[in-house]
Amino acid sequence: MIRDLKKVRNIGISAHIDSGKTTLTERILFYTDRIHKINEVRGKDGTGAIMDSMELERERGITIASAATYCEWDKHNINIIDTPGHVDFTVEVERSLRVLDGVVLILCSVSGVQSQSITVDQQMKRYKVPCIAYVNKCDRSGANPVKVSGQLRDKLGHNSIMLQLPIGLEDKHEGIIDLVSMKANYFEGENGENVVIKDIPAEMMEDAEMAREEMIDAVSLFSEDLTDAILEEKEITEELIMQAVRTGTIERQMTPVFLGSAYKNKAVQPLMDAVINYLPSPLDIENEAIDLDNNEEAVILESNFDKPTVALAFKLEDGQYGQLTYIRVYQGCIYKGDTLINSRDGKKMKAGRLIRMHSAQTEEVEAIPAGHIGAMFGVDCASGDTFVSPQINYAMLSMHIMEPVISLSIVPKDNKAQINMSKALNRFTKEDPTFRTYMDHETGDTIIQGMGELHLEVYVERMKREYDAEVETGQPRVAYRETITRKALFNYTHKKQTGGAGQFGRVAGFIEPCEEEFEFTNKITGGRIPTQYIPACEKGFQGCMNKGPKLEFPVTGIKVTIDDGAFHAVDSSEMAFQSAARGAFLEAYVKAKPVIKEPIMKVVIETPNEFQGGCMGLINQRRGIIQGSQEEGVMSVIESQVPLSDMFGFSTVLRSATQGKAQFTMEFSTYKKVPQSIAEEIARKKQEEKNNN
Amino acid sequence: MLKKDLILKSPVAKTIGIENIKDGKFGAVISRAGVGKTSFLVQVALTRLLNDEKILHVSLDDPMEKINLRYHEGYTNLTDHIGYIDPQKAVRLWEDIKPNKVGISYNESTFDTAKIRDYLKSFKKAGLTLPSVMIIDGLNFDKDISTVLEALENLNQEFSIVIWFSMKNHREEDLCENGFPIQLETYKDRFDKAILLQPVKNKIEAIILKDGDRTDQKFRLNPSTMMIIEE
Repeated sequence: MIRDLKKVRNIGISAHIDSGKTTLTERILFYTDRIHKINEVRGKDGTGAIMDSMELERERGITIASAATYCEWDKHNINIIDTPGHVDFTVEVERSLRVLDGVVLILCSVSGVQSQSITVDQQMKRYKVPCIAYVNKCDRSGANPVKVSGQLRDKLGHNSIMLQLPIGLEDKHEGIIDLVSMKANYFEGENGENVVIKDIPAEMMEDAEMAREEMIDAVSLFSEDLTDAILEEKEITEELIMQAVRTGTIERQMTPVFLGSAYKNKAVQPLMDAVINYLPSPLDIENEAIDLDNNEEAVILESNFDKPTVALAFKLEDGQYGQLTYIRVYQGCIYKGDTLINSRDGKKMKAGRLIRMHSAQTEEVEAIPAGHIGAMFGVDCASGDTFVSPQINYAMLSMHIMEPVISLSIVPKDNKAQINMSKALNRFTKEDPTFRTYMDHETGDTIIQGMGELHLEVYVERMKREYDAEVETGQPRVAYRETITRKALFNYTHKKQTGGAGQFGRVAGFIEPCEEEFEFTNKITGGRIPTQYIPACEKGFQGCMNKGPKLEFPVTGIKVTIDDGAFHAVDSSEMAFQSAARGAFLEAYVKAKPVIKEPIMKVVIETPNEFQGGCMGLINQRRGIIQGSQEEGVMSVIESQVPLSDMFGFSTVLRSATQGKAQFTMEFSTYKKVPQSIAEEIARKKQEEKNNN
Repeated sequence: MLKKDLILKSPVAKTIGIENIKDGKFGAVISRAGVGKTSFLVQVALTRLLNDEKILHVSLDDPMEKINLRYHEGYTNLTDHIGYIDPQKAVRLWEDIKPNKVGISYNESTFDTAKIRDYLKSFKKAGLTLPSVMIIDGLNFDKDISTVLEALENLNQEFSIVIWFSMKNHREEDLCENGFPIQLETYKDRFDKAILLQPVKNKIEAIILKDGDRTDQKFRLNPSTMMIIEE
């Protein structure tokens, strides 16, 4: 691995579904000699693109798990993470962004900025990842890269600046004009591997000169040297422009826009040059960790190989030789045989085989130095764990993880499936923090939880394919919550004197709605409840939050305040006060007008204009609230909020309503109170289930 | 209570009259560019939202986000105008009424009443209450749009939805003898309500052009908020 970190790039490729991420990655790997033949996604040869390493992904033509791979371009080491495009798998995107230094944001030249691009963009902002944009599919009819660049500016607020102009669009797309070098680039040969540089066609010269002037004007903000050169009318060199663009990009002040058509092998190489020229190296990025031994103070990590090691496990996979853990090293260097500590549980471990990944193929290496991405075999850990040298105790910042909103019961078909299922679940929950599983004690069923229907569906299919565990699934269930809507008083005495040691405790106070999950305030004065019993009271109240008295859903948003109570010198105990708190909670809860809350999803539909009215109708029929609709060229975007419980099977309905031409994305937005009629329906179903059990 | 207070303070209540918003067929807010047609139309829609009704705002000029912003701005202007309101209450009320507004943004070339009809039909199909008022902002009345207006009249009949339009007139054009701008004169039989906004000495004068008894009444509005200036 290259040790000069200036020559290392860790990049991600992010985009909306079907924008051509995987196709582009395939071209990059081909041009960098990592593969010798280009396979298409859903290719006729039945092989599928190499980055879609999972069989299931090949079949669906989508990329689910991020596969890491590396390649070399112009004496630079580039590590690429191919990120999934569907919102259901956003945790993967988020984890990738955490370990990347820069991103290539792919946009379709016809559809432009789509809903998923917006989600990905928000995530990039959260992790402050610099990006360059690639407007793909310039060969398609309706291609308009200038419009897309404008959308990047208007919709995502990027300072987008085009560094290239297309030579012809749609079926006449031949190549690009590089506005920095002022040369025309054509891509010849069977796979576009020969870049032919020519003079700009005379008929385009005027446009190119005008575009260059605008571009230089815009990027001069980021370089004093360039501004000086303009003012003093000196020669404006390529280096000056490139330096200004690089500065602006790394500071996230501008987004250079490139274009081409990965499928038609046009202008992928200039994009690779741009990755090297404009995206940051590990040295340009500041990474922070928390020092667990020093009050969780933030420490800046240095990409110095001699410092103690800090590495983050960002992805796990089940390989042939056991668990494969993808890591990014932020500081120091991991050598084969090194002793490392997992700072989550303090367990010691030995770095065994270290490898560099090339999609599903591995390449053994002796060390993974700071700034690089690699993988380790035979390490037992969870995704998001930090590995450090024994002399330090750092943790990388915790990642933003969402709570699951949907659950599904699964029952193994036979005994063999039962064993395999638990193996699979064990693996999946380690791999994906938004995928969870637990056993329902009442029904005895195994329940899986996740971020959407498709999310769970994919795991059920993976269980079958990868672990040979066939399961039957129940109806998907929504993660309802209970909460209260007004303040209510309690004054409860727990008294038991029926033989044996007596129990006595009285708690009084009130509960009220609040924004937090649970809050407990102690306003007891004069020792009415001795201090040693206060934690027991809190525990008693908190215990009630797991299962609401109304319909046994978890309770959230309650603030408990205790301000009075009584105890008995002999009969009071922690147990007695816990029971008193439970009794008090039940007493007040009924009076506090409890309601049920349901998860509301943000649903964005993109449909051809002619189906706009119909699609808005579909949302109406699902208790949805349309926030607005906007026409963009031939497509309309409809933004809405819809209860998750009404979104089951929506993809089928949408397909049939729009001849399969519309698509939608869905992500969790908030919890909202369920209307009375629906609440009654939920209560009725819950009762039925109870009776059946 | 707050809702009622806000409705009473609305410039629409004072000028056009609340009962007039819901009745009839077509209404028009007329002015030159930049005087405040859209802001006034937003106030028209807000009176319905505050009455727990649904509204549909179709814009041929503004993107969706801008429509949403305009409503929020209109609501803030209204709450500020009433004087002191518990800010939390005001926010809660906004959160309550906001979902009843749907903004649709079209290009002038793709604006199609059939799509709106499809959408309104889905309310009936799902057994939901229909929007009571539709705002159409940005339709060009300098062109012959009688077919569009006819289609919209059909929507008015079929779904009992009152439609309010913005109508742009021009500085260089003289008013007709009856005081109507030429755009309104051309389609005057279709409209039962019309209000003209014109800038007069740093204020905006609202003149009721068409509305039974109130015709020719004048009011003064604050140009930045569209609220009535009490004199």
